[in-house]
Amino acid sequence: MKQRIYWKSLSVSLLLIGFLAEGCEESASRPLPLLGPYEVNDTIIDGMLNTDTTFTAVRPFSFTDQDGNEVTEVTTNGKVYITDFFFTSCPTICPKMKQQMLRLYNDFEDNDDVIFLSHSIDPKRDSVARLHDYAEKLGISSERWHLMTGERDDIYSMAKHYMIAAQEDKLAPGGYAHSGAFLLVDKSKQIRGIYDGTSAEEVDQLKEDIQKLLNDEAQP
Amino acid sequence: MKRSLSYSIAALLLVLISCDYKPRNQGRVLYEKECQSCHMENGQGLGKLIPPVAKSDYVVNHREGIACLIRNGIEGEMMVNGQLYTGKMAGNSQLTEIEINNLVHYILVDLNDQKDPYQISEVRAQLERCKQ
Ligand code: HEC
Repeated sequence: MKQRIYWKSLSVSLLLIGFLAEGCEESASRPLPLLGPYEVNDTIIDGMLNTDTTFTAVRPFSFTDQDGNEVTEVTTNGKVYITDFFFTSCPTICPKMKQQMLRLYNDFEDNDDVIFLSHSIDPKRDSVARLHDYAEKLGISSERWHLMTGERDDIYSMAKHYMIAAQEDKLAPGGYAHSGAFLLVDKSKQIRGIYDGTSAEEVDQLKEDIQKLLNDEAQP
Repeated sequence: MKRSLSYSIAALLLVLISCDYKPRNQGRVLYEKECQSCHMENGQGLGKLIPPVAKSDYVVNHREGIACLIRNGIEGEMMVNGQLYTGKMAGNSQLTEIEINNLVHYILVDLNDQKDPYQISEVRAQLERCKQ
C-alpha cells in the first residue's frame, strides 16, 4: 500500500514538474500582454449585461526631476519607459533596484527611445537637491533617467494608477513600505510588463522585453 | 487520494528545495540577509552611493573597528579605495556576538583574502569598547 502511494505521488509530482517546465518554455516566445490601465464599462444591451474592457493610456502627470526639470506625460511621448517607486534613504530593497535599473540604463545607453522614471515616495526628505546628489553618485543623467519628486498625494495616486503598492508605514524600515516592481510602458503608454526589480533574472527578462517592444515597433 | 496529493506536494517541495540547496556558512547567510541589499551580491557596492566591502582597503585597515561599525552604524565622510563616500549606514542591534564574528570573518577572509580568522575574543573586546 505504502509503495503504491509512493509511486502515485511520484508520478503526480513529475506531472506537476512537467507542467511547470512547459509554462517556462512558452514564455520565451510569447507576445507581451496588455496590462492596463483599463476601464471596465458595464452596459445593458437588449436586457443583457455586457462588460467591456477598454484599454486606456497612462494618465497625464507632472513631477520635478533631479535637475529641476518638469517631467510630464509629454516627456514620454515616443518613448518606451521603465518606471518604479523608491526613496533615497531606503535601507532595504532600493539599492538593489537601483543597481538593476542602472544595468538597464547602461545596456540601452545608445537608445534615446528608452527612458527611466523613478518616483520618490518620500517627498518630505527627497528634495530636488537630494535627488540631484543621489543621481550624481549613481552616475546618471536626467536626459534619460528622471528621479522625480512632487506633491505627496500626486505621487501616491500615480503609484495606484500604475497598480504599484506604496505607502507610508511607521513600522517599515525607513518609514515606507513599497513594492520593488519595475513597470514596462510602451510608446502608446500601455503597461506591458511588471517585473521584480530586485531580481537579476527578472530584469534580464525585462531587458529582452524592452528589445522586443523596440523591434515590434520598428516594423510598420 | 487526498493523501496521495499531499504526498506528491511534499515530494515536489522536496525536489524544489533540494535543487536550491547549497551548504553555506553562517557568515555568508547573514551577509545575504543583512548586508547584501546595499553592498550587493559580491560586495562590490553601488557607484558612489555605497562603498564596496569586498577588496576594500577600509575593511583591511579597520579590522579592530568593524564589529563596532556593524553594531552602531556609521555616517559622514569616509574614504574607501580612494573614493569619498558620504552616506549613512544604520547600526544593527539584533546580531549576537557570534553572528557578528561569523559575518566579519566572512567579509575579511572570503571577500578580502585575509588569512587570520576573526575571533570571538576580538569581537567581545571591541564591542565592550563601543557600547552605547
Ligand atoms: C542601508 C544600506 C546598508 C546596509 C543594509 C548595510 N550597509 Fe554597510 N554601509 C552603507 C553605507 C552607505 C556605508 C558608507 C557610510 C559612510 O559613508 O559613512 C557603509 C559602510 C560600510 C563599511 C565600511 C566601508 C567599506 O565598505 O569598507 C562596512 C565594513 C560595512 N558598511 C559593512 C556592512 C555590513 C557587514 C552590513 C550587514 C550587517 C552592512 N554594511 C549593511 C550602507 C549599508
